[in-house]
Amino acid sequence: MVTASPNILVVEDDRETRTLIAKYLRTNACNVTTANDGREMVRAMTDHRVDLLILDVMLPGEDGLSLCRKVRTESQTPIIMLTARGEDVDRILGLEMGADDYLAKPFNPRELLARINAVLRRQAAAQTVSATNGATALTFLGWRIDFRLRELRNPAGARVAMTSAEFDLLRTFCERPGRVLSRDSLLDLTQGRSAGSFERSIDVLVSRIRRKIEPDPQDATTIKTVRSGGYMFTPEVEAVTVASDAPS
Amino acid sequence: MKLPGFLNLRGISGQIAALVVASIIAIHLILTAAILIHRPDQLAPPFEHGHSQLVPVVQLLGAAPAAGRPALFADIARAFPQLGVDSLPAGPAPAVDELDSFNLRSLHRRLGRSYRIFSLAHDEDIHKIGIVLPDGAMISARLPPDERELPFWIRPWIVTLLFAAVSVTLLGLWAARALTAPLSSFARAAESFSLNGAAAPLPERGPEEIRSVAKALNRMRERISTLIDDRTRMLAAISHDLRTPITRMRLRSEFIEDEVHRGRMLHDLDQMRSMLESVLSFLRNDRKLESMTLVDIASSLQLVADQFADIGHKVAYEGPEHAMATGRPDDLHRSITNLVENAVRFGTETTIRLTMSPDTVTIEVEDDGPGICDARKDVMLEPFVRGDDARNMDEAAGFGLGLSIARATVLAHGGELSLNDRQPHGLIARIELPVHQQSRVAAA
Repeated sequence: MVTASPNILVVEDDRETRTLIAKYLRTNACNVTTANDGREMVRAMTDHRVDLLILDVMLPGEDGLSLCRKVRTESQTPIIMLTARGEDVDRILGLEMGADDYLAKPFNPRELLARINAVLRRQAAAQTVSATNGATALTFLGWRIDFRLRELRNPAGARVAMTSAEFDLLRTFCERPGRVLSRDSLLDLTQGRSAGSFERSIDVLVSRIRRKIEPDPQDATTIKTVRSGGYMFTPEVEAVTVASDAPS
Repeated sequence: MKLPGFLNLRGISGQIAALVVASIIAIHLILTAAILIHRPDQLAPPFEHGHSQLVPVVQLLGAAPAAGRPALFADIARAFPQLGVDSLPAGPAPAVDELDSFNLRSLHRRLGRSYRIFSLAHDEDIHKIGIVLPDGAMISARLPPDERELPFWIRPWIVTLLFAAVSVTLLGLWAARALTAPLSSFARAAESFSLNGAAAPLPERGPEEIRSVAKALNRMRERISTLIDDRTRMLAAISHDLRTPITRMRLRSEFIEDEVHRGRMLHDLDQMRSMLESVLSFLRNDRKLESMTLVDIASSLQLVADQFADIGHKVAYEGPEHAMATGRPDDLHRSITNLVENAVRFGTETTIRLTMSPDTVTIEVEDDGPGICDARKDVMLEPFVRGDDARNMDEAAGFGLGLSIARATVLAHGGELSLNDRQPHGLIARIELPVHQQSRVAAA
């Protein structure tokens, strides 16, 4: 499970920002090391174990995107990219770079912390979910949920808009089909994204997801309510192999 | 080696001179052709022809003794029947001294003073005349028709007219091709000039003067585009760079102990961030377009309604549960969000309404606020125009880019954004989009 105090490596060229992020994360029970550029990053990663990498896109020398790609070819260390808004999010999260998440600057530090927790929790959880382990996209009933692009497409191929919280909840369901999930465990598994000031209860999120994916939201069959237990995701879920079914 | 202006055929004056020369040559060719076609056998002046027979015949008769004339008459009638020479009974010659026609006068001059001529009968073609020979005998003869006048098509005034017509026609055609067409294309280009650089540069052809105007206009276009690009880059760079200090402040604010202070600071920082984002997305709008994809547009609208409802606004969605259309999901989401942001700022209840027809998606964002008067509606769609005219910068009042970003997105989808009145009060922002974008995807 999640390490009590994860080792986090912050790669950021702005000294002030770097120390502030480190300071903030340290006050929130993380072990933080910092690096100014790619060379320092490599040195830090060989020095000691890194549980999660926070990588700025704009770096002197080798930029964050290519560092991200490089790390990905060598290890599964989770990566959260710090980007400028308007940069190619599809590329960052997509297959090319393979970052686990991203945050646009200027970001809310609490959001960063939440994402760190979510990514770490997801990684820990993914090791227990064998069927979908490592998959970047899943399908159920013709629907397709793409974790990298963070998008959901209906059987007709149309993109269905979702909030981050809805997406994370649906993802949690998809990764655990046929299992009864209590509200508490769902909250625990999805806390990352939705931990903002506008946190919605799991029930509201479920009803919103139902409205989007259920053929008849009044008589939910895809996400069933289990009396006194919570919810269960009923359809069969299959991993999508990327090469054969790349997103259009 | 610079030729004088009028010799330089690439200039307007040279071309006009060349046209005049060309039309003179054309006139000459026309007239020569006409003469060759119409009177190859009549090149000798007509009156010479007629008189040249009549004069010696009459002189012969005048010189012959009276007794020999009857035989001569017979010979002449055989040889020159067309002259109709015959004797007239002797009698007092009519006192016709006034010779009215040029033809008769010329005949008289050539016969000599001892002969007198008078007119006998003047039909349409045949002019019968009487001639008094020197010895007083009278004969009659037929005068060939008076052909002194030139055929109408080589009369001087016709030639002048023809020349004018030909040269004016040539000049007109040339002016239409070389001057009018480029000028009106300049006008069109100036009208359609837009900063997205999509319009093609002006064609640089035609006379030298026109070409240099086209070149100058093209250079001006380039300079304007460069200027705007520089400004845009500068604005983007400023907005971009401001993110670093805002990020630092955002982080630093986490260490502020005083909750009230912290809250206020975060609020200000959020406002700064959203302003930066609106500037950046406005600047980005016509440059980098998200790719088109099939979207469940109903889910996008529900999402916006949910997001606003979550932060305590009364925003409802009305419409089908699912509705498919092609579009750019993130751009559309931002546009609708902008419209709803305006709606909740000025009204208390907002409705997002979706109606689908086979060709058109209509999205209406309706509020019950004060609305916008007709005179301001167009202005409001312009960038950096705020509804409250910068009375205060409190709350979420941005740069006034919301509507223009929404409109730019809608236009990029080939749709339209309009502001309409709601009864009894309020505003309806209506977006109409084509359902299928295939043809436009190719165009974009």
